[in-house]
Amino acid sequence: MGRLLEVKNLETRFHTQDGTVHAVNGVSFYVDEGETLGVVGESGSGKSVTMLSVMRLIPQPPGEITNGEVWFEGRDLLKIDKEEMREVRGNRIAMIFQDPMTSLNPVLTIERQITEVLELHLGMNHQQARARAIELLKMVGIPAAEERIDSYPHQFSGGMRQRVMIAMGLACHPRLLIADEPTTALDVTIQAQIVELVKRLRDEIGMSVIWITHDLALLAGLADRIIVMYAGQIVESSPVHELYKNPRHPYTIGLLQSIPRLDEKQRERLQAIEGLPPDLIDYPTGCPFAPRCRFAIEKCWEVDPPLEEVSKGHYSACWVKPEGAEIMHQWHASNTEESQ
Amino acid sequence: MSQGDVLLDVQGLKMYFPITEGILIQHHIGDVKAVDDISFTVRRGETLGLVGESGCGKSTTGRAVLQLYRPTAGHVYFDGVDLTTLKGEELRRMRRRMQMIFQDPYASLNPRMTVGDIVGEPLEVHGIAKGKEKLDRVAELLEVVGLNPYFVTRYPHEFSGGQRQRIGIARALAVNPEFIVCDEPISALDVSIQAQVINLLEDLQAQFGLTYLFIAHDLSVVRHISDRVAVMYLGKIVELADRNELYENPLHPYTQALLSAVPIPDPEIEAQRQRIILKGDVPSPVNPPSGCRFHTRCPVVIDVCKEVEPEFKDAGGGHYVACHLVH
Amino acid sequence: MPTPEQLAIDRRAPLRVSVWQVRWRRFTDFTRRYARNRMAVIGLLIVLTWVVVGLFAPWIAPYGYDKTNYNAANQPPSFAHPLGTDALGRDQFSRMIWAARTALIVAPTATVVGVVLGVFFGLLAGYFGGWIDEIVMRLSDVLFAFPGLLFALLLAATLQPRLAAWLSQFERIKPWVRAGYVEFFVVVIALSLVGWPGLARLVRGQVLSLREQQFVEAARALGVSPWRIMWQHIFPNALPPVIVALSMSMGSAVVAEASLSFLGIGITPPTPSWGAMIYNEFASWRSPSAPWLLWAPGLAVAALTFAFNFIGDGLNEALNPQDRLT
Repeated sequence: MGRLLEVKNLETRFHTQDGTVHAVNGVSFYVDEGETLGVVGESGSGKSVTMLSVMRLIPQPPGEITNGEVWFEGRDLLKIDKEEMREVRGNRIAMIFQDPMTSLNPVLTIERQITEVLELHLGMNHQQARARAIELLKMVGIPAAEERIDSYPHQFSGGMRQRVMIAMGLACHPRLLIADEPTTALDVTIQAQIVELVKRLRDEIGMSVIWITHDLALLAGLADRIIVMYAGQIVESSPVHELYKNPRHPYTIGLLQSIPRLDEKQRERLQAIEGLPPDLIDYPTGCPFAPRCRFAIEKCWEVDPPLEEVSKGHYSACWVKPEGAEIMHQWHASNTEESQ
Repeated sequence: MSQGDVLLDVQGLKMYFPITEGILIQHHIGDVKAVDDISFTVRRGETLGLVGESGCGKSTTGRAVLQLYRPTAGHVYFDGVDLTTLKGEELRRMRRRMQMIFQDPYASLNPRMTVGDIVGEPLEVHGIAKGKEKLDRVAELLEVVGLNPYFVTRYPHEFSGGQRQRIGIARALAVNPEFIVCDEPISALDVSIQAQVINLLEDLQAQFGLTYLFIAHDLSVVRHISDRVAVMYLGKIVELADRNELYENPLHPYTQALLSAVPIPDPEIEAQRQRIILKGDVPSPVNPPSGCRFHTRCPVVIDVCKEVEPEFKDAGGGHYVACHLVH
Repeated sequence: MPTPEQLAIDRRAPLRVSVWQVRWRRFTDFTRRYARNRMAVIGLLIVLTWVVVGLFAPWIAPYGYDKTNYNAANQPPSFAHPLGTDALGRDQFSRMIWAARTALIVAPTATVVGVVLGVFFGLLAGYFGGWIDEIVMRLSDVLFAFPGLLFALLLAATLQPRLAAWLSQFERIKPWVRAGYVEFFVVVIALSLVGWPGLARLVRGQVLSLREQQFVEAARALGVSPWRIMWQHIFPNALPPVIVALSMSMGSAVVAEASLSFLGIGITPPTPSWGAMIYNEFASWRSPSAPWLLWAPGLAVAALTFAFNFIGDGLNEALNPQDRLT
């Protein structure tokens, strides 16, 4: 598998009247061809801003990409001119968002919106574009696509709108689909539909996917590799099995202990992560997670730990690198004792 | 499981919202049948979870129980008193005993009131305390929910989502209620903050012997916090059982599909699981399907489902379900 | 936002926040927020200056406002008459000072009635809805179509003389009646009586959206009575546009008084008012023989209008706790 996208040392800032927001702080990651990368983090973790920076969709000002490289198909996307970038955005990388309604123009029919992309980027005539659009809508599972294509966005349900967005994203055979919390606003049964759809399309078309979410559980059955973000940094990066079995960063461990599981039989007391995420304006010097960390040692307050390999392909940015497997095991055991 | 006496008894509750047309003379052209004839009980000291997807009527149920919406039909007995017959001052006084925690910690606090005023207001309007006494009680309440008592002079916007939700909880606790409707209290919060609030709600229940009606769309959270769980679909309760019974042995095809759609944070389990992917979307509550309301999306539908509405009854051991395939 | 350290509860220290501390903090917050807006402070200073000038007019003014001197008519500014004299030889500077009284009596009264009615009916219609809303809104429709000025002239011609005659029997009020204030109030109140629907609609719109807010529902769930919800929860949040409307109408009242005087139903000469002074000298625009008579009252009206608007802005910021204090 070849490298499709490689991001090196990305840094994004927002200049506000209160000060400079350190939104993304030296983020490096890659996506291989055909791979699904899961990006998990809470609001303010920088997961969306990272991807928007990759796509150069950060409003400037107030935003500014202050450092970094984004290598995609042999080019640094941060260096190419705007015209070229627009080509990449429409053709090579597609992006879908949380709220499909705001990404669709409410006064244009679905047909107009999809065919426009096809005519513009692929130089099709209207006849061809319409036929292709219907094909795409069928592909994303919209029933009666021939009729529904002339509808307006508000005539679709949330799940259907997200399907339309995916169809538009796929119009030009992208190599990479960036999905920014596309199911957060949807119900679980609809979420399952969309996840299945993206998985199917990924395998059929052979594209790579970056799936951004706050829901660690969702990625378990979807991603090949996961990066965990906190305060604009990657704190852990690991193949999917390894991450859930033996998380090595206290934040990831905390997340796994703080979400109730559907298959929980005994009522286990959740281990909440106390406190709040740090202020991104007054950015801490040491590890940003230190104030909320159970394992913090003195060094954590002084020096920000680098991302270090703990086992093959598994990285953690932590001075302590606790063994998550053991901690989870002990936690389950103590919970069982308590409830007996 | 606690086997307390029944605190809340809901019978045949219906909540229709009329749809009207016309400018001067309003014609009644139909109803949004948000809640359509549901019955359930909540025992003292227990947590009844109410789950369902958006538009299933779970939040409307919570509001109709508290008479924030006046039900179209049915009865809501709270400790033996039928709330639907109470009006004005009688109902207002009853609110001391039942409270609500809201979903949106940003919208549910008045931005122009201080935390002290927000938490102290119920004390004042119910004549429990005022002045210095009120302030002391507010400080005490803030401490109970894990906030610094010195926050009394601050305004809601100075707090994070999780902290605001704590303020909302303190406000609900101010009048020493017996029963609290929790309407999606954690769905607007970040993952790492959700556990803090869940733990707080559990602690408060143990400390004050509270009874909860816990409304949520997150099935994992509902399993965690509830003693019994009711599943709603399009204005109806389709299944109700003890938590482990419902999650281990779901009888209704909708419950089965719903549970199969919820991801589990374990790649090995996920690889083994069979997802039941439902077709299409939830139909409109204005013209709900005939017979069983789920028949349009049900993977195991039979002819009778399209015509006859299944009865909601006990399938054994207090496991209630409304499905022709079970009865 | 508080840091985690602030979040932690120090259980050793008992709560020592008193009711007065809470009130004091609220007051200082208000003043600090207000003081941050420099224009609002300037506006307040302008209004306060005119208040002082108006209060102490008899001591500050070098001449009486009605003291004529035909030997010194139409004089340009000089050492004896800093702002010159008018056609009757009255000292313009003194008249300016006396007119401050008129402006500061006229502006609030002209505004208050309309605002009170508008806010009251707007809240009522918006919060209770249903048939109350229907009645208020239909009434406002009727009033919108009502020729306000005609109504005012009608009242001035019918009710006003009787009222003035009745009030004149009280010795203390007599000079006020003679100065034309009573006549003016009748007109202004008449205009307010038919002029409130605009503000009422504005308030009603605010209330309609605020009523659906979750914090209002929360208040209902807590058992807060409807009246308290209206005043404690809805009204403060509906305030910003009301304050803007209030400050704008304060300013325009000063101007409106001038136009009413022009129609002969305002302040009666020789009682000085800035508006009347401007209108009286309007002719001098065409033959600028005495432009000084126009500049002083014109600037005074403009300054006061701006001042009220700045104060409105400042109040809005000061009353909004979400406006950050840094």
